Amino acid sequence: MTEAQIIERLLGFIAADDATEAAFDRLALELFSYQFERNQPYRRFATQRAKTIRTVRTWRDIPPVPIDAFKDLTLSCRTPDDSFRVFMTSGTTKGGLRGKSYHPTLAVYDASMTTNFRRRFMPDRDRIRMGILFPDEQAMPNSSLAHYLALALREFGSEGSHYLIGESGLDSTRVLAELARAEKTGEPYALLGASYSFVHLMDDMRRLGRTAALPDGSRILDTGGFKGQSREIAADDFYDQLSSTFGVPRARCINMYGMTELSTQFYDRGNETCPSVKSGPPWIRSRVINPLTGADVPRGTVGVLVHCDLAHFNVVSTILTEDAGIEVEGGFLLLGRADGAEAKGCSMAVEEFLRAAQG
Amino acid sequence: MTEFAGHLPGLAADAVEWRTLTFRRANEALDVAVPVLSDAQMTAMVERVRQARRRYLQSLTVSQIAAIIDRAIARLLDRADPWRRKAEALLPLVTGYDAEMVRLGLTGYLKTFRQKELQKFLAEDFANPQILDDFQPTPKGGFARAFGPDVLVHIWAGNVPGLPLWSLISGLLVKAGNIGKVSSAEPLFAGWFARLLAEIDPGLADCLAIVWWKGGDEARERAVLKQADVVVAYGGNDSLDQIRGRVPLTTRYLPFGHKIGFGMIARAALDARKAMSVAHQAAYDVVRYDQQGCYSPQMFFVERGGKVSPREFTKYVASELACFEQKYPRRPLSIEEAGGVAAWRHAEELKAASQPDREVIGDTAGAWSVVHTEDAEGLVPSGLNRTIKIVAVDRLEDAVALIAPVKAFLQTAGIAAPPEELYRLAAMLGEAGVTRICALGQMTAPEAGWHHDGRFNLLDLVTMVEIDRSAETAADAFAAYVD
Repeated sequence: MTEAQIIERLLGFIAADDATEAAFDRLALELFSYQFERNQPYRRFATQRAKTIRTVRTWRDIPPVPIDAFKDLTLSCRTPDDSFRVFMTSGTTKGGLRGKSYHPTLAVYDASMTTNFRRRFMPDRDRIRMGILFPDEQAMPNSSLAHYLALALREFGSEGSHYLIGESGLDSTRVLAELARAEKTGEPYALLGASYSFVHLMDDMRRLGRTAALPDGSRILDTGGFKGQSREIAADDFYDQLSSTFGVPRARCINMYGMTELSTQFYDRGNETCPSVKSGPPWIRSRVINPLTGADVPRGTVGVLVHCDLAHFNVVSTILTEDAGIEVEGGFLLLGRADGAEAKGCSMAVEEFLRAAQG
Repeated sequence: MTEFAGHLPGLAADAVEWRTLTFRRANEALDVAVPVLSDAQMTAMVERVRQARRRYLQSLTVSQIAAIIDRAIARLLDRADPWRRKAEALLPLVTGYDAEMVRLGLTGYLKTFRQKELQKFLAEDFANPQILDDFQPTPKGGFARAFGPDVLVHIWAGNVPGLPLWSLISGLLVKAGNIGKVSSAEPLFAGWFARLLAEIDPGLADCLAIVWWKGGDEARERAVLKQADVVVAYGGNDSLDQIRGRVPLTTRYLPFGHKIGFGMIARAALDARKAMSVAHQAAYDVVRYDQQGCYSPQMFFVERGGKVSPREFTKYVASELACFEQKYPRRPLSIEEAGGVAAWRHAEELKAASQPDREVIGDTAGAWSVVHTEDAEGLVPSGLNRTIKIVAVDRLEDAVALIAPVKAFLQTAGIAAPPEELYRLAAMLGEAGVTRICALGQMTAPEAGWHHDGRFNLLDLVTMVEIDRSAETAADAFAAYVD
């Protein structure tokens, strides 16, 4: 299959909304053989694990690439050139190396994002006034999240939607003005952005003694959690604070779980209780495995998440994350990181060593 | 079943709030109740220890103290003793280590605290240990006496069974009042030892307290550390740094940070007969406590040119690790730990896929992994939990440059080499920052009296008080017998 054919198949699949495992399997295997043939590092990786086009029978057999590999290997089915869009991870861990995802086109990414976003965040209306708590695409051209949020604003934001983070950081004055405006006009308002930006915003508002009561239909989307940030707070406290600061019920506070190494996102159905159940559209499926053996853990026990995202067609579709999770009815619970604990004794773990060695 | 942690002189169990830590292993669970003292209780207890130390511990000679410790250790070495039985039953549950490994480890470790060994401890640091009892003449003239701190606070970390004993026994030998804070990963052993001492000599009961608080509790740490004269702390650099900020400037602070160890195998040790047993010893050091100790090896440097090549040696180590997995299975890993091991192994596999000089050997369940590389690679921690990298070098001297960049984190080097080479390498390693050189197979079992991280276990704790010769001479002038 050519790249153009693969793209066409994927756009068709996303539009068709066929949730059967058989349909998923068919395309996943086609995609695996596409990637196996064209992506040399991936071919070596798979062959080393005795996984070839002959031995892979279902999407569950496809060898998942650890996301760490995105830092060292150029994973792409076509040699990347200037026409490619490259998304990179932030490089906050592992000695500052950044994982890269190469996109010859964003057509599939955008179709995946908009179709799913509409269903999960905007089921009740076409557009909403949005405030984005994240830098724009010009400021962060290699950030998949910046692109995601720009797309949300462009495709789903009503006129007057805007960014709340500029060159000089968080524009709290603008936030307060927007909140007051929404309260006055009764027009629903959506705040979207990185989880830690919400923490900073709420800190600012607490200092100023301000809260808001946003009108019915308002909503919040946060993503990313708090890894590597100055302050960590428990999910329950976070959503309590969101709800009391903005007057948006926890059921309308949606957490998006996405990764630079994917082209599709997961959402929950609000955060009345934490941890919430995350799920994705028909073109992504997940397993929960023991990272040492690669085997599925018994349902209901903790393991590490593997995602098979058909929309991530040019890189590799199946990745091994560093996120711990549990499979539950209708999706999975996301439990935090599983990227190596500190040594229990007085030895050193790699991550700690790298931090210390960097001073 | 609930086991109570700690030793709280002057406080009845029902006067204290307890928090439960639950340890789960396969089909068993153990609840450990750790004490949560109020500020007033903590302050009063530190004061009680300070008083008791002045009143009682100071009245004992150092050899009497060593004799009491010896009796406690003898009890813990006696497999029929109830304390020993408790330790053998519960420590595997708490730490997750294989029961047989814990049993052997305890015996090997406790032996280093018998009376004769304690004398070595003392002799290592004091030419005349009686200097802890009374003023002793000094070579320069005059007299000197070593005073231990009124209050020595220990902040312990980690789950290696029995580790708190090092500093606790050191504290007792210099007649310090001891306040020990146990780690949540192994909160029991220190408290048992304190209670056993109190059983043997009730006078000691008030001279030490074993407590718990949640690591990093700033208000609690500031309050306790303010009452301390000397603070000994173990842990990662981040937590040590935090504690440093909470210790008053006038209080001596002795931090013991996390370290990494490694091994070196000379070509002389690589003939067909010897290589097998060297590999066995090397694998043993990896298996003991699953590389969680600061003395545990993270890499082996193997010299080329022996009858057995570095690559063959790697295979020997792999097969020894496979055998040990049958005999002493690795402890069950948390999902974070498993993730760490998997990440390390995956990264190595990826490199191996593109580098013919590199190989990853491991069992399918991920219970152990060995990486072999022919490229010179600097010392970094492995993925822990029985993951080891073996690096081939032309000459062992070449490895010195590979470890030198991480000087601040070096501690133990296990060496298999003939005498001349041993001493030549030792000089280079010492220069590079290594503080302990031992035989392979002994990396996790330091000798009695070793200088932990190159420091003085006892000397660092005391304050020397000197009587100048001038005072002596002047005093003579005031004597009744003066002419």
